Order: sequence, then C-alpha cells, then structure tokens
Amino acid sequence: MKQSLSALWMALLAIAFAPVGEAAAQMDFSLDDADDGGGEEGAAEGGDEGGMEFGLDESEGGGEGEGGDDGGMDFGGAEGGDIIGELAAGDDGLETDTAERERRTETVEEVYAVQQIYALRLNRVELAPSGSFTVNDPFLSHPAVSVALNYWWTNVLALGVSFQWFQWGQPERRESDLNFFVRRSTRLGIPVNEWQLGTYLNFTYVPFYGKFAVFNEFIFQWDAYIVGGVGLMRTRPIPVIDPEIREFDFQNRVAFNLGLGIRIFVTRFLGIFLEFRDYAFLEKFENLEVSANQGSCEMPGARCNPDTWFEDSTSFTNNATVHVGFTLFFPFTFDYNLPK
Amino acid sequence: MTFTKRFLTLATLAAAILAADMVGGASKAHAQEVQITGPLAGAPAVRRMRLYRTGRIQLEPNFSFTLQDEFKRTLYVGLHAGYYFTDWLGIGVWGAYGVAGLNTGLTDEVVRAGVTTDRNRLSLPTNENFDSQVGEQVWAAALQLEFIPLRGKLAMFQKLFVDTDLYMFLGVAFVGVEERADVHLQESNEEAGTECALADTACLEQSQTARSSRVAIAPTFGVGLTMMFNDFVGLNLNWRGMPFSWNTSGTDESGDEDGDFPDGAVDSDDRFFKFNHMFQVGLVIYLPTEPEITE
Repeated sequence: MKQSLSALWMALLAIAFAPVGEAAAQMDFSLDDADDGGGEEGAAEGGDEGGMEFGLDESEGGGEGEGGDDGGMDFGGAEGGDIIGELAAGDDGLETDTAERERRTETVEEVYAVQQIYALRLNRVELAPSGSFTVNDPFLSHPAVSVALNYWWTNVLALGVSFQWFQWGQPERRESDLNFFVRRSTRLGIPVNEWQLGTYLNFTYVPFYGKFAVFNEFIFQWDAYIVGGVGLMRTRPIPVIDPEIREFDFQNRVAFNLGLGIRIFVTRFLGIFLEFRDYAFLEKFENLEVSANQGSCEMPGARCNPDTWFEDSTSFTNNATVHVGFTLFFPFTFDYNLPK
Repeated sequence: MTFTKRFLTLATLAAAILAADMVGGASKAHAQEVQITGPLAGAPAVRRMRLYRTGRIQLEPNFSFTLQDEFKRTLYVGLHAGYYFTDWLGIGVWGAYGVAGLNTGLTDEVVRAGVTTDRNRLSLPTNENFDSQVGEQVWAAALQLEFIPLRGKLAMFQKLFVDTDLYMFLGVAFVGVEERADVHLQESNEEAGTECALADTACLEQSQTARSSRVAIAPTFGVGLTMMFNDFVGLNLNWRGMPFSWNTSGTDESGDEDGDFPDGAVDSDDRFFKFNHMFQVGLVIYLPTEPEITE
C-alpha cells in the first residue's frame, strides 16, 4: 500500500507541474511577452524571465538581456524565430509566422557578450593513446601503439612525454614485396631496420583553433597544434645481407620529432585526434659488404666479428608517421576564471 | 500479493503520466508550437554566413606532388574547376600535367649500384639507364562529385580569423601513364612487344629506354581544406588518391604460372596495384566575386 500511496503522490505532483510547462511555453516568444517586453527594458526583462524560468543567475540574466539587445540587431532575420529582431523589423505578420513555424525540440539558448572557449586546457593533464603507422617507408611497415601524457601550463602550451612500441611479431612479415622484387631484379640488397620503441619529451603549442558547422546544424570545436621534442629510438638491422652470421641487438639512437595535429572535441574532456609527425634520427644500417675473412671472431675484419656488420657511416632517417587516437583531459570538469 | 501491489503501483504511475501528458498536450496545442525559449530559439547554427560555394564557379590553379613513390615522383601543375549547386554539394573537373619527374632515392641507388647478370638481364639491362625504364605519370584528369560537410572558421595565433571549409570528393580519374614498352625474351613463351635474345645485350639495352603510353582509369577520392582570404580568393590544400595498376619499375616480376615470378617478358602481367596519391596546393578563385549571405 505504501507503494500505491507513493505512486499517487507522484501522480499528483506530475499533474501539479504540468501547467507550469504550459506557462513556460506561453511566456516565451509569444507576442504578448514581446509586447510586454517592448522598449529598452524589454530585452533585459526577457533575460530576467529567462533567469527565473530556467535558473539563470542574475548576472547571466543581465548578460542575456544585453545580448538580447545586440541579438535583436544581429539576428534580425524574419525567419530566425527572434521576436525582438522581428519587432524591430516591424513585421506585423509575426504572430501568424510564429504560429506556423514548426518547433521540434525545446531548448534554452543563451547569448553572451563573449563566448567562452569550449574546452579549456589550462592546468589540465592530457592522456592521449593512439595507433600509428609510417607512411614513407616502402620496404617495411612500422605500426605502433603510442601514448602521450601532457600537462598544459597555459591554454596553448603543454609539456609532456610520449612512448611508442613497435615490436610486434616477426618483422620479416611486415616487409613489402618491393623489397624482394628489387633484390631479385637489380641484385641490390636493401638494408632494413626494425624498431622496438621510441620515447620522447615533447612541447605542444596550439596556434590554431576553430569551429565547424555541419550543414549549418551542428557545431563542433577543434584545434590544430604543433608538437615537437627530443628522445630516443631503439632500433636494430634485420639481417638480410649475411643472415647466416649476423645477429643484431637493439641500440639507442637519439631522435627528434616534429609534427602537426588536429584535435576535435567530442565533449569538454574527450576528443579525437589525427597527427602527422616526423621522427628523425641517425640510423645505422647493416653493412652491404660481407668480409671474406673467415678467421676468429676476435680478429679485426673477420666475417663473424660484429664490428664488421654495420655500415661505417650513419644515415639520416625520417620516420613520417600518422597517429590516430583519442585524448582525455583530466580533471573532466573545469571552472572559467571570468564570468560569461 | 506482491505482484498485485507492483501491478497497481505501475498502473497508477502510468495513469498519472498519461494524465500529465494530456495536460501537457494542451500546452503544445495552444502555445503556438513555440516550445523554445531564449533569443536564439529556432535559429540556425550560423547567422549571416557567407555561402562561398552556392551558385558559384570555382577556378583553382594548383600544384601537386605525388607521395610515397617507389621510383619516380611526379610534380603536377593543374587546374580545377567546380560548380556548386549548394554550399555543400557540387561537381568538378580537375586536370594536371606532370612538369617534372624526380628520381627517388631507391632509383638513384639502383643506378649507382644495381648489378646485371644473366638472371636479371631482362629486368635490368644496365644499371645506368634504370631511371629511363621506370614508370611515370605524365598527366591526369578527373571528373568528381564534391561534398562539403563542414563549414567553419579558423583562428590563427588568436589574431587572424579565416572562413574555412572541409570537403571530400569522389569521382573517376584518367591518368596518362608512361611505362617501359613490352619486351620478351626469345627463350620465353611470351609474344608481347619486342623480342630479344638473352645474349643480345644491345637489343635489351634498347628496350630499356623504349616507352609506351596508355591511359589508366581509376577511382579518385580525397579530402581538402579551403581557407578564404576574402569573398572570392582563398587557399586550398587537399590530398587525392588514385589507385590503379602499373609497372613502376619496368622490370619482369610476374606472369609465371606459379605466381609472382618472372616469365621472361615485361608486359601487362607485371603491373601491380598501387595506391597512388598526391598532395595539392591551390589558389581558389570564386566567380561571381560576391557570395550569397544567409540571414
């Protein structure tokens, strides 16, 4: 019985609140309201009404009132559903137009003198996992999983670290046919290296931000950033010239990176990003020449002496990489320093 | 009994919601269908938007360069023209001519250190002329449908604001390709093109520089960004893909019954599917010069 009673209470509450919805609908954008709000105080009053009905505080209500004045000027289109603008335009047929117009959803719109940035980065930590692949190595693919951790000490500058892991399965299986074809057709051995990991200290700068409208219906925020840093790569040659003898261990290479990315905010704490980044380092490849000296491995110049396995010079290597991932900002919520 | 109580509770709730909805329905009926509050009620996402594309013609002289080429990179100079029925849909044609072909590092390496033996004499008659046998894109043209789903603005360094749109396109491309002319060894069972004996190095060397042209038909698609400097001039950046099969190396790689093994002939069997793509920069000019502006 208690449940039935509580249900009855809820029913009464539901019925009691139903007329409030009607009142709200009548107050907003009816001609009566517009008439009541005519004159200079009208817009501000409209703002107050909005504040009362939808819980806006007084300062916001005032702001909206000012915005309403401006909005009347800016949004004076006859089809915009803006009573203030339409009254200013002296459209006598407004009531009919408004009645005939179809409204699909109930929303509360607020206009502010200065719009706030949708997602502040200041003093937030960003975690950005991603998948990446190289686009400039026709001989061997280098897919990787990556994660970046950044701290934004201003809204446009961040300091962070990133990590990439490349070593998946057998590297020979990631070799392209081109490698084999070139070897077969030109008798030219192409040394290739596999990568194990990369780790970097990075700076990020956001010089561009903007917003896009999709078919003039939805708006989403995005930014473009420049990222760069220094770190190390661990690489080793895949023995292709003398695989019977040579076996290589991973070695550290000092590496630099520079990139450009675009981030689209899905919410104020979640975004997706696409990034193009060039990782550059001095690489040591397998020696194309095989020593004929079959002597002891301790002997200089011997075939099995590891000192003869690498090329004498290093090669400047660019690892042009595309990252695709998502980004999370912590904490999820934030406060604006200035009022709207 | 518990079930009955629950049933009664749910029934009462349902009746209450129905009653509330009926009362609310009255508000819908006489609230002039205006269920929206605030000054932006019913407004579009963007006011007074410049419709740069609607009913206008776009002319875009451009420069492109191919990406991820194995043996030769092509630099294109071209022109794109489009007409847009709406701000988000149009058709376009694009044409470009290759003004330069640049050897890749791999080509230079083969020229420098490639080795010719009896086993690969057909594929590489001489290493010095290898760059003359590789395939090259000479010209390209495309007919495409252009779709512009995103329209917005971009702030640069929080100072400079430019109207920007992001577009995609899909169509059919015709690519003028120049490849090594067909040639086969006398010892093979093939009949395509010139016939040379394996020992006839002069014949093979001559075949290395012989060229044949054809038109490859391919799908084309891409994505781009247009940034407007003023009402009718802007900068365009885009990426275009044109996958098709061709013999980029001019070597004998396939055709054997057992798979991708040399069959003693350089011919159409040696064409492999490549994901050809390029990056383009262009200067956009819209005509007429005055765009339509929304309310």
